[in-house]
Amino acid sequence: MNTIVILSVTGIAAMMSDVFKLKKALFGLSLLGLLIALVFSVYDWGQYATYFNQMVLTDNYAVVFTTMLIGITFLWFLMSKDFFSSHSSASEHYALILFSLTGGVMMTNFSDLTILFLGLEILSIALYILAGSDKGNLFSNEASLKYFMIGSFATGFLLFGIALIYGATSSFNLQEISAYVQQHNGSLPMYFYAGILMILTGLTFKVSAVPFHFWAPDVYDGSPTLVTTYMLSVVKMAAFAALYRLFIYCFAPVYEFWIPVFAIMSAVTMLLGNITAVYQKSLKRMLAYSSIAHAGYMLMALASPGGTSRSALMFYLLAYAISTLGVFNVLYQVHKVTGREEIKSVKGLFRKNPFAAIMLTLCMLSMAGIPPVAGFFGKYYMFVSTLNGGLTWLVLIAVLSSLIGVYFYFKVIIAAFQEPELENTAYYRQPSDLTVLYICGILSLLLGILPQFVAGLL
Amino acid sequence: MVFLSIPADYIPIAIMFVVAIGFVVTTIFVTHLLGPKRKSEIKLDTFECGIESQSNARLPFSIKYFLIAILFVLFDVEVIFMYPWAVNFLKLGLTGFIEMLLFVSLLMVGFIYIIRKGALKWE
Repeated sequence: MNTIVILSVTGIAAMMSDVFKLKKALFGLSLLGLLIALVFSVYDWGQYATYFNQMVLTDNYAVVFTTMLIGITFLWFLMSKDFFSSHSSASEHYALILFSLTGGVMMTNFSDLTILFLGLEILSIALYILAGSDKGNLFSNEASLKYFMIGSFATGFLLFGIALIYGATSSFNLQEISAYVQQHNGSLPMYFYAGILMILTGLTFKVSAVPFHFWAPDVYDGSPTLVTTYMLSVVKMAAFAALYRLFIYCFAPVYEFWIPVFAIMSAVTMLLGNITAVYQKSLKRMLAYSSIAHAGYMLMALASPGGTSRSALMFYLLAYAISTLGVFNVLYQVHKVTGREEIKSVKGLFRKNPFAAIMLTLCMLSMAGIPPVAGFFGKYYMFVSTLNGGLTWLVLIAVLSSLIGVYFYFKVIIAAFQEPELENTAYYRQPSDLTVLYICGILSLLLGILPQFVAGLL
Repeated sequence: MVFLSIPADYIPIAIMFVVAIGFVVTTIFVTHLLGPKRKSEIKLDTFECGIESQSNARLPFSIKYFLIAILFVLFDVEVIFMYPWAVNFLKLGLTGFIEMLLFVSLLMVGFIYIIRKGALKWE
């Protein structure tokens, strides 16, 4: 709860900093707020506390995901220092990011369906605006409108689902719903199951799982690159944390009903995401499709819940978010200098900056799931957990689609080591521009060498 | 608690639907049948609160109207939260009072933001 309060106060302070002519302090202020929130979040470890009439529940699951969300946002802030300061409405953009992070934290700490809805809306509404924050760009406008329309539609599904669940169990509270379902299993009305499916639809819209992915490539491609980074890392993490928490804490007694839905969704998502990504020429769009594919792997945790699926999901999300930040840091710098976002525009990176090329390679290997980096163990834990759940066919499809993935991830690595196509390819203006890439590359490597330290947390 | 509902429980809702649809259908058709038909220029004109209509509804207007309207809605809706609070004021006690103060002060922050940003300036 402290984390939520601190983050919202930081958001308000960021919003007001422009009004009180404190724009210079904005960046430091946001980072300070995030650091304090991070400390308070870690401090909650090992506690099991409820707040606001049992509407917010802080347990270890919530603490781990909250800490990850804040940490990733911290890194995001480091890499986007110059992006928003060039805008006239920088303070609003910082505030919106902080507000949407608050929504994300609420989505990981919820113990009540109303808080889930509230968190999802706070997260999304800020992002609808941020997606269109590049006002002069037509694609950015399109992304914003598309995201808003389809996002609101998905929220409608979620709300209707919540209403049906409330109608069947007469409670919004996860524990009470779970207890009721346990008690009346078998004699639950039909509309209870309809409610589960509608909530599932609403939330899988947000994680861009097939068949609810149609908005994702255009929105991810059209939004400003750094906003896309935020969506792919933090938003995906928050949405998956909420999805898993809801189905494990609340609907676990009727797992036979929803497991097949997630299993099929997972298989279709990773196949479609990976196959479509092969045909992309734009690096940003390729990463958008690859994020859909990764959503498929993450859904495997819900297709075989229980056992180690919880830590597998956590580790996968962390590995994915870190490598995404690293790759997008390069993409952002390349775009800033050359104005292009194709895969071939990273050509010559090794010539200009060998260390950056190696770090980019580590991040790409992590996305592809090749040892010795974090992504490999993300996939490994996920596959083991799914095998223990008895879904061998799903693991087979996952391995197959990972092989497809290796092809297009290696296209980027190969391009980075080729000779430059253009003469003037200065990939960064200051050495500090690629700091986040270095941090992410090293973190990926560390997580790949010592995965048990993080995976053992949950 | 076990809720057993039988189809008969939904009869009031069905009656409600029939009445609602019946009202609409009746008012549309019966007025056409009963009313006298006198067609004059004024009769066929668009009704606009008694004021003579100016032009098509889709004409460009200053974005400032929109901004003011949105801000009005925001601060108007805020008052709605005060009604249930005022009714339960004694029951909620000091905690409720502090919570309301917090809510109003947050709104105040928003208000200061709007004024300092010049959203209410009309030039």
